[in-house]
Amino acid sequence: MQRIGKSQLSIMIIVFLIGSTPLFELGLKARQDAWIAMAMAAVVGLLLTVIYVKLQKRAPEAGLAELCRMHFGKWLGGTVALVYTVWFSYESMRNVRDVGELTRMALLTVTPKWIIMLLILFVAAYTVSKGLEVFARIVQLLFPIVLISYLFIILLLFIAKLPEIDRLLPIMENGMGPITKAAFPDLVSFPFGQTVVFLVYWKHLKEKRELGKTTFKSQAGVSAFLIFMNMLVMSVLGPALSEVTSLPLLQAVQLIRLANFLERLDVIVTLLLFIGLYVKMTALYLAAVLTLKEVTGAAYRHFVWPVGLVVYAASFLEPNNTYHLWLGLDVTLKIVPLFQIVFPLLMLVAGVRKRYKRAASP
Amino acid sequence: MERCRNAAMKKNAQKTLTPLSSSLKANTDAIRSRFGGSFDLVVRLFRSDAAPSRELAIIYIDGIVDAETVNVSVMEPLMSMTLPPHAHTKGTKLLDALRSCIVSVGSVGESATLEEALQAVSDGSCLVLAEGCTSVLTASVNGGEQRSVTIPQTQTVIRGPQYSFVENIRTNISLVRRIIRSSDLHVQMHKIGSQTHTDVAVLYLNGIVDEGVLKEVYRRLADIDIDGVLESGYIEEFIQDETFTLFPTVLNTERPDTVASILLEGRVAIMVDGTPIVLMAPITFFSFFQSPEDYYQRFDIATFIRVIRYAAFIVSILLPGLYIAVTTYHQEMLPTTLLISLAAQREGVPFPGLVEALLMEVTFEVLREAGLRMPRAIGPAISIVGALVLGQSAVQAGIVSAGMVIVVSFTAISNFVMPEFNMGAASRIIRFIFMLMAGMFGFFGLFISVLLMLVHLVSLRSFGVPYMSPMAPGSASQSIFRDVFIRLPWWAMIFRPFELKLRNPRRLPNRRKPAAQRHSDNP
Repeated sequence: MQRIGKSQLSIMIIVFLIGSTPLFELGLKARQDAWIAMAMAAVVGLLLTVIYVKLQKRAPEAGLAELCRMHFGKWLGGTVALVYTVWFSYESMRNVRDVGELTRMALLTVTPKWIIMLLILFVAAYTVSKGLEVFARIVQLLFPIVLISYLFIILLLFIAKLPEIDRLLPIMENGMGPITKAAFPDLVSFPFGQTVVFLVYWKHLKEKRELGKTTFKSQAGVSAFLIFMNMLVMSVLGPALSEVTSLPLLQAVQLIRLANFLERLDVIVTLLLFIGLYVKMTALYLAAVLTLKEVTGAAYRHFVWPVGLVVYAASFLEPNNTYHLWLGLDVTLKIVPLFQIVFPLLMLVAGVRKRYKRAASP
Repeated sequence: MERCRNAAMKKNAQKTLTPLSSSLKANTDAIRSRFGGSFDLVVRLFRSDAAPSRELAIIYIDGIVDAETVNVSVMEPLMSMTLPPHAHTKGTKLLDALRSCIVSVGSVGESATLEEALQAVSDGSCLVLAEGCTSVLTASVNGGEQRSVTIPQTQTVIRGPQYSFVENIRTNISLVRRIIRSSDLHVQMHKIGSQTHTDVAVLYLNGIVDEGVLKEVYRRLADIDIDGVLESGYIEEFIQDETFTLFPTVLNTERPDTVASILLEGRVAIMVDGTPIVLMAPITFFSFFQSPEDYYQRFDIATFIRVIRYAAFIVSILLPGLYIAVTTYHQEMLPTTLLISLAAQREGVPFPGLVEALLMEVTFEVLREAGLRMPRAIGPAISIVGALVLGQSAVQAGIVSAGMVIVVSFTAISNFVMPEFNMGAASRIIRFIFMLMAGMFGFFGLFISVLLMLVHLVSLRSFGVPYMSPMAPGSASQSIFRDVFIRLPWWAMIFRPFELKLRNPRRLPNRRKPAAQRHSDNP
């Protein structure tokens, strides 16, 4: 079995959770308090991760499909795992479509979307065909680029004196109501709850003992970073402007004008978003393939290209970007708690009973 | 496995060995006829005082043996000396007596079959035959014309040893032995090539080498089934991990000090007779950016130059693509004044950016190849034609823009910064792919192709060692300090490369500063 190290796992969690998140200014329903909503969601996200880690600890060498089977029985568990596969593919497709839309908006206005999505999906499929170890390594290689680029952007935003703390005031203008509404379930589902996908990857970890520690540390760190980015963009743009732009971070970076030279930094943002989207798309695609393999028991390589084709075909189902965003931000976020909260909780409960049984029988 | 065994069986089946006869004439005739009466085969029959009753013969090939040694150590003693009285000279014992008392060559063997004898003659040995003996002596007297050790042609350094390997494998091994004077330096010989029987030597430092890698090297060498090996490139293509990649996974050098240094790092060197180019494995992507001079110069300068090298590599693969992408798709990225000047230059140019760049790049590749193949005497003509006619005049004629000429020239010069030629060659091809993608999809195309290249790079292995280690997989501190980006001062380079599983990973047994810098020693 392919193995990944704990630093690789940690980097995977970080880059995966960053993903395309800074692309959107999340939690806008709470207006200038979006960051508080983010923080609340991050805490709940960490709690969810506690559940996932607990599940994984019961059977350290079991993947998601195996866990489902353990808790729900052979047939029901297999079905649940298959539903997970469909969900992973769907989420992967959303990222493919995001790349298509982003490129149309920011870089190539006339190039047809099908070729753009085909290219990015080809890279993802190539990565998946090489396996988990290669994916972990490529994320490791991309991480310094991501890190340095974000630091650079943040530094320049501050040098250009763009963030104004006033834009974050007043705090809790309308009480806790809007904040809670923004945080649950939307922000929990995206991005924090998506760590559920690591149930597929954890079993490949070399240092099993470090699983919980590594995961919590990296997730806590990346949550803090996401909250900070949210505050930063809000303090640059303010709630009113954030609401009307489709890509707030891009908007904020476009405001940077320094020394008549550092003007057009959109390309860094676009690059960052591409990297994030690629990592997320590939992680979900790979998870779908790995889960399918575990459910059916057939060889890994048989699923790489079929799943890729399905993802590619599915990315044409939505007619336009508005529909894509509506489906993603309104419909999907209401359904995914099923995968992120309901199923894991059910497993947790079912497992507790089983353990009693096991303890009683001998 | 199955295929391997079949091949071995086939090999055995082909080899039907003929025993030698006891008649001297029959033996010499057999050898002469197997060589087809070749004119350079020397067969000398004679009688000597050593065995007055019997006829003797020596056989060798003129030109591949050292004539002096044959005369002084074989012919002369045989013709002039007599055997001591106690020596047995009856029947087949005669050869033993000759070997122990008369033939004064260092390495003398005995073979009993015609095929072995033929092989010995081809290898440059001198055969000694005697009437009534069913075996022959093979005295190793290799020699003949060969190039002497000269300064390196392709991997030059300013500071460091100024000699390189030659075509003779024995000389080459001795050059390394002179650097590493230790019994731990082991050399294993193989013969590869059903016709050429080329000597291939595997060198490693016992006690340091990664045993798994060594085993793998032997396995892959044993699997080679080819008629002839003329250069180490033949071996490289058989033993590399992946054929369909632009990136070399085996390092090569013509410098003995480089071989010594990689042996000290626990790697394996493979020498092939007939070429000064020695192969080294396993290596990583970053090995291609390390020049021997890095370790002879001051560490700070070496580090600076190494970073420049990485930058030059990135420039040499990306710059034309970036230029195409910016001028074709993303003009808004440039500061206004630069944009205006670029636009003014491109005003009269009839081609789109991609065509213009391809035109210039292909021209440059042609120039470069012509410069390599041309006789030395007309070399300078190339630079005049290249620089003046194709550069300046092409701009004046309005076929290409001045900016493009600058980009292409700088890219070309960056390409020459690579210490290893084959990595430079890879970057030339990658550059064209990047240019095409940039011409079609702008930045997005570049992003896709760079990403694809990175995924490919991390998927490669060299003898099982991940190509991008210690960066991926590996940790941040390893990739910074373990000789990837920073060349530490020698006293701080405590460990051998981390990516190998070495029995003895420490270069410096204990970590301490040099005596002059320790506090207790300072006044």
